[in-house]
Amino acid sequence: MQYKDYYQTLGVSREATADEIKKAYRKLARKFHPDLSKEPGAEARMKEVNEAYAVLSDPEKRAAYDALGRGYRPGEEFRPPPDWDANFEFSGHGFGEAADFSDFFAELFGRMGGRRREGPFARREAHFEARGEDHYAKIVLDLEDAWRGATRQITLRVPRLDATGRVVLDTRTLDVQIPKGVREGQLIRLAGQGSPGLGAGPPGDLLLEVHFRPHDRFKVSGRDLLVDLPVAPWEAALGAVVPVPLPDGSTLKVRIPAGAQSGSQLVVRGKGIPGNPPGDLELTLRVVLPAADTPRARELYEQMARELRFDPRAGSGG
Amino acid sequence: MQDRDVLVGTLLEDTCLTLEQLARACAVEREWVIEHVREGLLPAPGESPELWRFGSRELWRARQMLRFERDFEAVPELAALVADLLEEVEALRERLRRAGFE
Repeated sequence: MQYKDYYQTLGVSREATADEIKKAYRKLARKFHPDLSKEPGAEARMKEVNEAYAVLSDPEKRAAYDALGRGYRPGEEFRPPPDWDANFEFSGHGFGEAADFSDFFAELFGRMGGRRREGPFARREAHFEARGEDHYAKIVLDLEDAWRGATRQITLRVPRLDATGRVVLDTRTLDVQIPKGVREGQLIRLAGQGSPGLGAGPPGDLLLEVHFRPHDRFKVSGRDLLVDLPVAPWEAALGAVVPVPLPDGSTLKVRIPAGAQSGSQLVVRGKGIPGNPPGDLELTLRVVLPAADTPRARELYEQMARELRFDPRAGSGG
Repeated sequence: MQDRDVLVGTLLEDTCLTLEQLARACAVEREWVIEHVREGLLPAPGESPELWRFGSRELWRARQMLRFERDFEAVPELAALVADLLEEVEALRERLRRAGFE
């Protein structure tokens, strides 16, 4: 386990006051806010910052951390001596917090009432029970998975009390079957896969929020699928039936009405992401011109120029 | 510890979370949710707390507000205002995507 310098994470000195620590934290919380930050790895940095703040903003934890960590450098191999925390009483949070933070944090502060159990409240705690906390995570799927369903592997860090009452973090890998017809932003619930309950309390749930990885061709809006459809000039002018490949590998034949233009939109109802109701397929036509790179192609363009009397700028004042 | 059973997820529809479920998913007391709904900061279709049902949008919004209240000690109204602006930014980004600009 590597030593973490929480002061360095927040960019404050070891003598920083509580106010300075709070100020530094807020500055970084703004900088790395996951919804707005353009910084690379903002979410991971925010977790580190939260962990550092959880320790340095709590006088009990900060005192223990200071007493223990003197002389260590960040990244240095670190092993706390047994019973190092005998003189500290942590009144902090429980399982949920430990799951979000590092092994280093769990090792130092992840004790949930282990000693208190031997104290005056032992009797009450023996009967204490509570439902475990829900966990919330984002999952990124391929668009194709919405058609076919998918099985995805999810790795979770699950806090568990060991025999001495300390929290240890287990790594738990779940194979999760994602149902067909899932859409962006939808929640998937895995009953009983959150934190374990306390006492006889039931475990919490795991909630997964679905996001799709950007697709080369398709854009997604709810269950609607948006795609550019390249067409030849004569297909747009004369009308045509053209094949449109869908993310599931199937092909849909779509009729282009005569007189369509580049940028024209066609909506095929019910052919977006399956579901109840299914989404629509929205096609934006893009007329692609053949290159005039052979004598025959040039001849055809010249013939059109002579015979069609077409002015694309008519009415534009140009 | 390894657990490799294949678990089947349940898709939650748009308005499906009860007050208790939303509170649990945000790790807050149900009173926090009730107060925010009563103050008009969190939308909740349904007349009484027992009938309130929340969807993933409300869950996202509640978690955002909670973060602003906790990280910046923002008053709930300010946290809601920031959540409003984030929702608007997201809606504009969505329009950009649909228009092919992103």
